[in-house]
Amino acid sequence: MSDIWINMGPQHPMTHGLWNLRVRIEGELIRDVDPEVGYLHRGIEKISEDRHYNEVVTLMDRTCYVAGLSWEHLYMLAAEQALHIDPPERAQYLRVLCDEFQRIGSHIMWYAAFVQDIGLMSPFLYGMRDRDLVLDLFQSYTGARMTYEYMRVGGVRNDLPPGFTHQARKVLDWLTDRFHEYDQLCLGSTIFHKRCDNLGVLSGKDAIAYGVTGPMLRSAGVKRDLRKDRPYAVYDRLEFDVAVADGADVTGRYLVRMEELRQSVRILRQVLDWLDHHPGPVLADRVPRWLGAPYAPVGQEGYLLKRRFPTGVGFSSVEEPHGEAQAYVVNQGGEHPYRVKFRSPVYSNVSAARQYLVGYHVADIPPIMGSVDVCVGEVDR
Amino acid sequence: MSNVTLYSISYDLSHAVVFAVGSLAYGSWRAAIDSNAVVTTIAVLVFAVILLAASMLNTIVLIWYERKLLGRFMDRRGAMHVGYAGLLQNFADGLKLFRKHTFAPREADDLGFYFGPTAYMVSSMLIFGILPISSGWNSGALPLSLLLALVIFSFAPLFIFVSAWSSNNKYSLMGGMRSAAQMIAYEVPLLLAVVAVVLVAGSFDLSTIVYEQQNYWFWGPLVVALVVFVAAMLAEMERIPFDLPEAEAELVEGWNTEYGGMLFAFFMLADYLRALVGSILVVLLFLGGWTLPTWVPSAATSFPLAGIFWFMVKTYIVFGLFVWVRASLPRVRTDQLLRVGWNRMIPLALLSVFLAALLVSARCLPVFGCVPSLGG
Repeated sequence: MSDIWINMGPQHPMTHGLWNLRVRIEGELIRDVDPEVGYLHRGIEKISEDRHYNEVVTLMDRTCYVAGLSWEHLYMLAAEQALHIDPPERAQYLRVLCDEFQRIGSHIMWYAAFVQDIGLMSPFLYGMRDRDLVLDLFQSYTGARMTYEYMRVGGVRNDLPPGFTHQARKVLDWLTDRFHEYDQLCLGSTIFHKRCDNLGVLSGKDAIAYGVTGPMLRSAGVKRDLRKDRPYAVYDRLEFDVAVADGADVTGRYLVRMEELRQSVRILRQVLDWLDHHPGPVLADRVPRWLGAPYAPVGQEGYLLKRRFPTGVGFSSVEEPHGEAQAYVVNQGGEHPYRVKFRSPVYSNVSAARQYLVGYHVADIPPIMGSVDVCVGEVDR
Repeated sequence: MSNVTLYSISYDLSHAVVFAVGSLAYGSWRAAIDSNAVVTTIAVLVFAVILLAASMLNTIVLIWYERKLLGRFMDRRGAMHVGYAGLLQNFADGLKLFRKHTFAPREADDLGFYFGPTAYMVSSMLIFGILPISSGWNSGALPLSLLLALVIFSFAPLFIFVSAWSSNNKYSLMGGMRSAAQMIAYEVPLLLAVVAVVLVAGSFDLSTIVYEQQNYWFWGPLVVALVVFVAAMLAEMERIPFDLPEAEAELVEGWNTEYGGMLFAFFMLADYLRALVGSILVVLLFLGGWTLPTWVPSAATSFPLAGIFWFMVKTYIVFGLFVWVRASLPRVRTDQLLRVGWNRMIPLALLSVFLAALLVSARCLPVFGCVPSLGG
């Protein structure tokens, strides 16, 4: 067979979303790849300019369907900086709680999709089963399983329901056992190592050059985690290790994510202990009242338009499950943010596809792209 | 063992019908209708229809069995809603596929596109005419029935490749290429493993091979051949971990990407027919067919159609092992598969032939006693 181009996508089981990987193959060998994204562009940044600060939260949930709360947190950090509002301490702990549970949910979802890519059927359902427990926890305190709309400028919407921490600890215990099981199912299999070792290698130097972040960067031995390097919320008060591996391959990314799951459990136990003993407000007092209302109260529209607020600019970066996400919010004193800009980690990770795909087999595309953990909603925004 | 067999049932049925029809006719007509030739012909036809219906029914039950078993392995229930415990789910699925319009891509080669699945299906069903299911199974009493079964079994790559290429789709073509390469690579160890069995049994006739296992089953002395045979069979059946031709992660659905409706059902059905044939061959060659060990009380083998019953039990257990493998192993890569096939499987198969030859030349098997047919 001579060289042919095949389109893997936009509708293809490998893509886990709506994007297109154009692949030039020679027999079963990959000669060239060309990732095409943009099929899911919804203009979230532009829509944000037309919404109240709190209304942008709904868009953040839809940016990435497996990591909605992490994106909410990202946006809130930038918006609060732009609006000069400080959330209370308990709210910050609650946000870390959200972040880490979201990381567990996202990584388990990744595990389920990834093992499906290499043909392991059963662990896919084990993963989905265990992720459901995390979603149940989300449901118990945010009211939703996927689109949470939980965070507010200046804090979070509501406190935890009674008995939540007890339930959460039980879930963490269960999950810790399951992580061991996951490892047995994958790392204990010779075929897994045959498929994944030395596959999709992206060296640390290349990864930095392409702006690749998150587990992909850490799997190359680069110890960079924003929770440690540039702590936000209350991460500087929590004890955890940065997960790194040195293979820079698919197995390395697997190991990093599995270790992150365990570290998240460790963080969550500390957070739950703190939350048990430190009751308090979860929303800042000095939040302008109109921020909470979807539209200005009847009769006050003119008041809002005339009123002047302090202007400001907010920038935040968060270690999202997929990598480093960044947000930039410009406040020029109106009801709506003047400009909102996001940086998606997966966008950069996918852009480097040529570096870690060329030279491998067609059958290697699903495990490699699976190890990247593509979330198209967040790539296209 | 009881004298009632499937063939005797169909013979009696045919005889009763022919006698009833013949009693209405006069003189020489009656003699012509009531002759042995007519009775036998109709009996064979009835037998074939029973066989066809039974193999189809078995295939559908096999799919149900796999779905339920996979469900249990995956911590879920499998099909539950149509019929008791989802027993009728596959009939509903089949009906849905039957009602669907069959599309062919505009650029597809029509002849190959329609010929491929049909021939695949027909060739897979053909094998059931040869496989003996219990003692007194005359339809399989050919001196070379094992060879014939394997020859028909190995038609499949051709038909898959024809339908893949005529689909005019890049994914289908790649799947077809993989399928052809894989089946050819694993055909060799499969046949070599069979050679080991044939050496010990001294016959290519499946009934004789089973008869030779009256005293001991072949899986013990020929364990290497069994391992090679099962692994090669997994590859031939294109099941995980060797399901690369239809690896849905990268090739969408492999060589049957462009097929829908009834043609897809043909592929699906033929796949499971082949899985059934594979399990049956394992039972026939290594697990003593319809016989049971001598220490089993005779009550277990004295009821009517006991042979078929125990045969099916063994077949379903073997297929259950295939499902277990599917539930717990990842998929290998094409080059790895071929490397294992040529570099590991064939030497191992040759080793099994060598071991079998040693056993035969020693005339007696150390643990399992002397082989009657080899003694003199």
